[in-house]
Amino acid sequence: MIKIRNLAFEYFDRDDEGHLTEMINAIRGINFSAKKGDFIAVTGKNGSGKSTFARILNRLLVPIEGTVVITGLNAMDEANTMAIRKKVGMVFQNPDDQLIGSIVAEDVAFGAENIGVPENKLWNRVIGSIETVGFRNAKEFMEKRINQLSGGERQKVALAGVLAMQPACIVLDEATSMLDKKSRNEILSLLRDLNKKVGITIIMITHLMDELVYADQVYVMNQGTIAMKGRCQEIYYREEQLKNLGLEVPVQAKLARMLFLKGILDRDDLFTADEVTANIKGKYPHKFYLDTAMPKERVSHRKQNPMRAIIVDNVDFSYGGNKVLEHVSFSIEKGEYVAFVGRTGAGKSTLLQQLPGLLKPSQGSIFVDGVDIWDKTTDLRSIRCKIGYIFQYPEQQLFAKNVYEDVVFGPRNVGVSEVEAERRAYESIRLVGLPEDVYDMPMDKLSGGQRRRVALAGVLAMQPDYLILDEPVAGLDPEGKREILQIIDALHKQAGITIIVVSHDVESVSQYADRVLIVENKGVTDGGTPAEAFYRLYGEDGDINMLPYSMQLLVRLRQMGLAVDCFETDINKCVGEIEKALGR
Amino acid sequence: MLRDITLGQYYSAKSPVHSIDPRVKIRFVLVYIILSLLDRNSLLFGMLTILLLAVALLSRVPFAYMLKGTRGMFLFITVCSAINIFTTTGDVLIKLGGITITTQGIIKFGFVLWRMVLIILMSSMLMYTTTPSELTDGLEKCFHLSGSVAMTITIAMRFISVISSELDRILKAQEARGVDFKSGSPVTRLKRLKNIIVPLFQNSIDRAGNLGEAMDARCYTGGQGRTKLRPLSYDIKDFIIYVFLICVVGLALFLAVKF
Repeated sequence: MIKIRNLAFEYFDRDDEGHLTEMINAIRGINFSAKKGDFIAVTGKNGSGKSTFARILNRLLVPIEGTVVITGLNAMDEANTMAIRKKVGMVFQNPDDQLIGSIVAEDVAFGAENIGVPENKLWNRVIGSIETVGFRNAKEFMEKRINQLSGGERQKVALAGVLAMQPACIVLDEATSMLDKKSRNEILSLLRDLNKKVGITIIMITHLMDELVYADQVYVMNQGTIAMKGRCQEIYYREEQLKNLGLEVPVQAKLARMLFLKGILDRDDLFTADEVTANIKGKYPHKFYLDTAMPKERVSHRKQNPMRAIIVDNVDFSYGGNKVLEHVSFSIEKGEYVAFVGRTGAGKSTLLQQLPGLLKPSQGSIFVDGVDIWDKTTDLRSIRCKIGYIFQYPEQQLFAKNVYEDVVFGPRNVGVSEVEAERRAYESIRLVGLPEDVYDMPMDKLSGGQRRRVALAGVLAMQPDYLILDEPVAGLDPEGKREILQIIDALHKQAGITIIVVSHDVESVSQYADRVLIVENKGVTDGGTPAEAFYRLYGEDGDINMLPYSMQLLVRLRQMGLAVDCFETDINKCVGEIEKALGR
Repeated sequence: MLRDITLGQYYSAKSPVHSIDPRVKIRFVLVYIILSLLDRNSLLFGMLTILLLAVALLSRVPFAYMLKGTRGMFLFITVCSAINIFTTTGDVLIKLGGITITTQGIIKFGFVLWRMVLIILMSSMLMYTTTPSELTDGLEKCFHLSGSVAMTITIAMRFISVISSELDRILKAQEARGVDFKSGSPVTRLKRLKNIIVPLFQNSIDRAGNLGEAMDARCYTGGQGRTKLRPLSYDIKDFIIYVFLICVVGLALFLAVKF
């Protein structure tokens, strides 16, 4: 279906006068093949060339060298462009800027209209593909406006739009990286169905390591070449090599390996909770008892501390006539690391934007360090100096001509002396671990992860006591994510900054947060520790994927009758708990 | 909030107004606007108001939704048309210092406001009941636009809310970093504007690039050989509306000339 030999592609960078300043070898010497019905994953850190590779498959980019044959068509020949694009559909990363229509049906039809599907067949194709991507009530759903949909729904619409063209192969360029875990799982199992049941070839570009288990074959790219190739279990256990490539071993593989080395599992290539637990039960059936009850939900309350730093008291918030939040009360203490979790659209960002007074509650009060922020005598700017707010994808909000100018913006606004502003700027740039030579670099020379750190530095330069971060690791590759999480952890532990984070990433929340607050039904509930909170959310939703992976194993084992404690998120403790329950 | 800018976004519903051919609706609204500019005449305006109410009721667009989308605009035009109060000469009603308010001024203000309300609400009805791509198909046919112009309009409408929520985020991110948008000299304000426009522009360019790629990937070539999900076709109902429209024009001319 796809045969590629000795592929090379180069980017040219020219200065204002058109002279060649840089030639970037985006891709070289790649050999790749896919048969009909294959499910292939291509991974690698940002800038490894994997997205360039994806675009070559759809002839959005044309290689300078090599043999590229796609569905029997020579991709080096321009005459084949449309024929190739008809056969190879593509889903991109950002749900916001790949949909063209304003209404679901119109967008889904777009590609099919372009390739001239006759009018009498268009509606069937549109409705059929909307149903295929999992919207049972397709007739109603297709009349919705794109703007009303969540990110996950938009990606499904994008996929439906590709399906309506009836392609033989679908290429996904990090299509799940901006989604929450639930939508991510839905899209992935959809892809698996399309692959297994319909026989569509899937080529999935991803830096989310746990997604590799869906693929029959994994290619790992680095600096434009294929660094590794193999089945995912072969890739996962080359830990040292992965780290050098800026990738990581996912928690699924870590746990499988540990359980295998302890002799609890027969094999080390089981990466889903169902497989692992079934294997354990097969080996130790006598340890599983039918009458093992599931633990009750619980919330361990923290020590009452009179030093409550942020108090939200009975806050309501209406937006466009709809109540988004109702009777919300909670408090956050100095030095805590708190995570807010909840469904997309539950109002997490709306809620947190009230804390530094970026939104005004329709009712109720907010106190920061004992000051009512909406009191007439309060200077909101002093509150905003105390509470730093990092928006989602903050790198998109940078505006200055170089790094230093952007970071120094905040301190200058609040009227500190130029010397002090400069000192703060340099200090914050150091705090986020950027090397000295980036200070006067223009923004477009930095990588995505670096730009995010610049944005973080810009807020740290305000010297906040509290830091609110909205999805701080969304869209980053494993290395970028690890770096940001370590910086936040250091700010919390060393600088004593209170951290308030909104995140869909259950693994990092359970690793770092002290406490989880759940935003649901227009209100906020104290969920206790991350383990307790996720257990509770699982109880409401019934979807085991809502849990961190170690808890998925423990909860499944317990359901099967093994007497383990379910509230462990640390992988070492999880293994210990399983060993103990098995009496080893 | 800036995110409230809806510019009359499509409201999905099944109603007689939704099902009318967009060409009919576009011509209807055009004629309606011309009629409302004919003359300041309470009978004429009364008839146009009844017509508006009828369309609004038939469209099944909730009143609250209309209000949300047009609130800001009404505030603006109320202020603008209020100028008439002070600039029209006639019988003096109140005299305060250098300002005189005349009866004629107030009447003129009332009519100008009434007229603007009619025009805005009726054009909004068109937007509420017509999907952007139907609307562009209609515009394409009514004004003989090329396919790529129509596509540009479709995309622009799709991105109004994306860009306005991005603007909202940029403003808030800067407020969070100590900018007080309500204060400052004109020069600092101008500088601030630059700080907002740079990222907004940068992101829009990035988006445009991504969108272009996504359109290429879905085989868009500019319109030749394209089929349409909702091809425009007149049915009997549409002709009845054209006939009705002619009657309305007749009645309006009669009212405008006779009274």
